[in-house]
Amino acid sequence: MDEKLLIVGINHRSAPVAVRERLAYGEGEIVAALGRLKDRAPALAEIALVSTCNRVEIIGVAADSARALDQATGFLAADRAVDAALFAGALYRLEGRDAVHHLFRVGASLDSMVVGEPQILGQLKLSYGYAAEAGTAGLVLHRAFHRAFSVAKRVRKATLIGHGSVSVSSAAVRLAGQIFDTLGDKTVMLMGAGQMAELTARQLRALGAETLLVTSRTFDHAVALARALGGTAVPFENHRPYLKIADIVIGSLSAARPVLEPDDFEAILRERRYRPMFLIDMGVPRNFDERLNAMENVYLYDIDDLGAVVTESVGERAREADKAETIVAEALASFMRWMDGLDLVPAIKDIRGSIEQLRDTELGRHRAWLATMEPTERERIEALTRTLVNKLLHRILAGLRSTGAGSPDPVHTAEIARRLLCGEMGAEGPALGGTISGLDFEIDLESDDEEES
Amino acid sequence: MDTIWLPPALVCYALSAAGFVAGRATSRPRWTDQAVPLLGAAVLFHTLDLVVGALKAGNIPVTNFAQSLSFLAWLTAIVSFILIVRMRMQVLGAFVAPGVLAAAGAAMLLRRRGRLVIPDSLRSAWLPVHVTLAFLGDALFVVAAGVSLAYLVYESRLKAKRPMEPAGQTMPSLEKLDLINYRLLGWGFVMLSLAIISGALWAESTWGHFWSWEPQESWSLVTWLLYAALLESRIAAGWRGRRAAALTLAVFTVLLGSFLSVSLLFPGKHGGSFG
Repeated sequence: MDEKLLIVGINHRSAPVAVRERLAYGEGEIVAALGRLKDRAPALAEIALVSTCNRVEIIGVAADSARALDQATGFLAADRAVDAALFAGALYRLEGRDAVHHLFRVGASLDSMVVGEPQILGQLKLSYGYAAEAGTAGLVLHRAFHRAFSVAKRVRKATLIGHGSVSVSSAAVRLAGQIFDTLGDKTVMLMGAGQMAELTARQLRALGAETLLVTSRTFDHAVALARALGGTAVPFENHRPYLKIADIVIGSLSAARPVLEPDDFEAILRERRYRPMFLIDMGVPRNFDERLNAMENVYLYDIDDLGAVVTESVGERAREADKAETIVAEALASFMRWMDGLDLVPAIKDIRGSIEQLRDTELGRHRAWLATMEPTERERIEALTRTLVNKLLHRILAGLRSTGAGSPDPVHTAEIARRLLCGEMGAEGPALGGTISGLDFEIDLESDDEEES
Repeated sequence: MDTIWLPPALVCYALSAAGFVAGRATSRPRWTDQAVPLLGAAVLFHTLDLVVGALKAGNIPVTNFAQSLSFLAWLTAIVSFILIVRMRMQVLGAFVAPGVLAAAGAAMLLRRRGRLVIPDSLRSAWLPVHVTLAFLGDALFVVAAGVSLAYLVYESRLKAKRPMEPAGQTMPSLEKLDLINYRLLGWGFVMLSLAIISGALWAESTWGHFWSWEPQESWSLVTWLLYAALLESRIAAGWRGRRAAALTLAVFTVLLGSFLSVSLLFPGKHGGSFG
């Protein structure tokens, strides 16, 4: 029994999206795909399929790893009708310890494009669910996935790997949260258009910003954008009066000179009674004069400032990733010990069964004598023999399970122990006599009971 | 030591303050999470200390400077604890707990010189009412000062483009800090007003006149006027944010000065060396 965890697949580092999209599986397709995999890759005892925007991976368990990996690879090419050469260079094949390590790292978001992203855990859980549904998940995958989930949880809890903002728009939104308590009664004004600005506005709306005003030099653009984002369009020539109700202003106009300057801003602040204002300047050249930041209760962040926040967060996540790797390594070691233990299970079962049978047999042989005793005394003898057997077993099993640097291969040792204790060494029969390094001895099994009775 | 409950309270205050400060310095939520229940434990011990003291003395135990410090520290700790737990403002701990520790510590150090005997002139049902109102007002102002300090620190970081990213800690927004500051000031002002009124009524019943321009009374009036102005500036002129926080701290400094100087330098007829 030499089952190993196997992984074959591609990820965002090994293959560009043009290749990944050819191999990807939609959520609704996974269970059926698992069924086909089971047929086409019989070497795989257990199978799971993970398909996200970052990766497509087949996770399996097999005794014959080489054959299983080949079959899985062949399946991907055939099932997705893709030339194997297309992704041959991007494919990675992992087995045993490496595969488990990879799985745990993926779950802890250490292998994601954005380290610390929270979606991967949910995606892994889904994949596991589909495998369970398709009936292709077995003992090893159950344990491996559950371990991966608990590692991921522990990493998120014990490190700051998921903290901070790693995109300009989420950094802006986060800063808004540091200034304003709730967005529910706040008004956002979007000036201009642009991917980051629109994303920021969208996120602010999603978080509850009550009103969104959109303005642009071309009114039609403003109208279209307002409709898309769920806001109201304001003609650019008329935008100034609205500034006094705008708590958050996002600037994304293509303008040679700033559109907001300190001189006329003082009046706006007074009208707002100095309620705080967050100016997000995403324009290059900048839309808002930098001196505005010095004004009371005004907070101005331009694209560089936001970038610095992101860099800081990314750096922090990278530092936290090291801690996460340590947690993963610990879990990996413990899981591999469990897997090694699996190989000992049949031997341990046999040993236990054999020794307990010995006890039963002996108690059975002395049944008549035991029947003449007081019940309490009889129970005592039964308990004593049971304790003896358990202690002996405990010693043997503990010895088998201990894995030290110098200890012999546990599986091999277990097999020898099994043969020794199940009486399979030296198949000559019950006569136990012979020579051990010069000592002649004989053990006579027959005499015992006659002396006792 | 008058009661055995103050030392454990002090130990808990110290551990809690250490936890809050360490949590802020290292951005590790673990320290702050442990500091909060420690503060609660400290409040519990301190309560026992005051209750036992009150039972022994027959009335509220605030006859000298040390005891008034202790009472003030206790009220401040309670107000802070409620804010931290109900409004999830753990970060407040770092700004207030050290002050509480200092006050309670000073109270314990000075305590040996005090005797738990209440002068006859003060034996009255008015004592606990007037004193509690006054000290509660003070405590609210202390916490408001702590909140204002937190506000100024965070605001300056935001302006300097080095925002806080205290991962894992619940960081209240500037708006929230500002609002809580306002509320604390409002309630503090109400308490102070009631304290002055109850003091005047008490003085009338004991000495025959409402007001006698004692140092303590005069300073209370000045403080009252300053806080009134502070609140008015917010309500009428809309002064908020950094301005409000800075002013709160400025007025608080006046309050602190009056508390200390009157207690230590100008003990007048107004109840011995009272705060």
